[in-house]
Amino acid sequence: MTTAINIDDVSMTYTTGKVSNHVLDRISYEVQEHDFVSIVGPSGVGKTTLLRLLTGLMPPTSGKIVIDGKAISGPPEGLAVVLQDYTRSLMPWLNVEKNLAMPLKRLKVPRAEMKVRIDEALEEVGLGGQNKRYPWQLSGGMQQRVSIARALATRPKILVMDEPFASVDAQTRFSLEDLVLKIRADYGITTLMVTHDIDEAVYLSDHIIVLHGKPAKVSDLVTVDLPFPRSQVQTRNDHRFAALRTRVYEQVQGLASTEPEGA
Amino acid sequence: MTRSDSEEEVSAAAQIPEGKKPPRKRPVLRALKLFPPSIFPLVGLFLIWQWGSSLDSLAGVLPSATDTIAEFWRMLFEPLTWLAVKDTLQMAIIGLVISVTIAIPLGIALGLSKFAFLSSRFTLNFLRVIPGIVVVPLATLVLGPTMEMGIFVVAWPILFVVAVQTAYGVRDADPVLIETLKCYRQGVLGQIRYARLPAAAPQIAYGLRIAVIISFLAAVTAGIIGGAPGMGREMMYAQLNGQTTLTFAIVLQLGFLGMLVSFVVEWAQPKLIFWVPS
Repeated sequence: MTTAINIDDVSMTYTTGKVSNHVLDRISYEVQEHDFVSIVGPSGVGKTTLLRLLTGLMPPTSGKIVIDGKAISGPPEGLAVVLQDYTRSLMPWLNVEKNLAMPLKRLKVPRAEMKVRIDEALEEVGLGGQNKRYPWQLSGGMQQRVSIARALATRPKILVMDEPFASVDAQTRFSLEDLVLKIRADYGITTLMVTHDIDEAVYLSDHIIVLHGKPAKVSDLVTVDLPFPRSQVQTRNDHRFAALRTRVYEQVQGLASTEPEGA
Repeated sequence: MTRSDSEEEVSAAAQIPEGKKPPRKRPVLRALKLFPPSIFPLVGLFLIWQWGSSLDSLAGVLPSATDTIAEFWRMLFEPLTWLAVKDTLQMAIIGLVISVTIAIPLGIALGLSKFAFLSSRFTLNFLRVIPGIVVVPLATLVLGPTMEMGIFVVAWPILFVVAVQTAYGVRDADPVLIETLKCYRQGVLGQIRYARLPAAAPQIAYGLRIAVIISFLAAVTAGIIGGAPGMGREMMYAQLNGQTTLTFAIVLQLGFLGMLVSFVVEWAQPKLIFWVPS
């Protein structure tokens, strides 16, 4: 196992005028290659802030994030994102194919290969042949699949997902979760996902980082040793699943916090 | 409508079972339905005009509607008329193209830089509200009664309208999309191409829509006030020579041409920004 992402003693304080808001306090974690890691915590705890630091969109106040042996200073190469708000992160004026081509053009992928990659990625997410449709002609779940396909077509080393299934209905959510498991089995991309859904985190992850407190600290690191392949019915009925979700739930709620509340 | 026609209609309707009463339309009403409804106010207007011109107090001052229409019809077959139309449209189009070519990049630059946007907002809004007509005397002083002057008079007001619209549109680009693009390592040019410009398109389209109308109005105004070639100048000459009927006929011409221009705009807009529900 090699380390894909090293979150090294990262703190974040937002300062607006004289008001400063200490959000993250000395977060450290090493994401191993091919691992699926979820970040959970109560809403407003700073999960998305941590994710924004990981994508290099903003620098941490102190500490560093190391990818490929280098502290990142901007969005690193080989990173792909899937955001919650697919309607806003896809481009409505471009068809599916052109949405997928956007990062590929930046990567200077040759035209012929681009076509192959786009078709393959759409096939993988179950949208084969939908190349010429526009995002607004697709359902929410399908739009998020486009977003995932766009990430896959870049052949990312790291996939970052911010509440990817929070805006779709429950049925769609289950099928998207299974899609993510399939992608994981097919490609083994190192994945970081922020979610507020504890069941989802347990169902999909190898490891779960629980954030808690204000400023947020890592209150628990949970290893999910549920066997693969996972299924919505069997895995969720496994008694270990129940035990894990209870543990994460208590940590998120601060019921079993190892740190004193409000420290 | 002949009598036998309407009788046939009635007998045909009588064969319909269930005793449904056939709609009894009077022949005149049926004949009127053959015309588009928008024509009636127009006809009404022309009737009032015709009546007004027959009044003693307006005799010899207001040309009659029929005379004006006859004059309008006669002008359609004169090459000079079409030369004037060509000159006017040429000034409008060249002015529009030059102006928009400058305005859109200018607007993008203003929209991208917060400092440029805030610092220039006052100046731009100030220049924007100066009526385009005001620059005609100035432009005539410098450029004379030429086509170049007309082009300048067209380009000037459009520049501000389109630049300001573009700047606002560029600033309106969705921050989520911008972040997505940044994550995929798109630089400023990529952000302009994939987010800023398309996001600004509805606003730019709105600006262009106004700009097209302005271009036509300004091209005519440049002729009337500044003597730039085209329909405006023809109208000024006709007025100076006391050719009342001709002056009115040119107004009719301008009306039709203006309508044509706005039809083109209405038709093109949804095709250019198809993803925005209108």
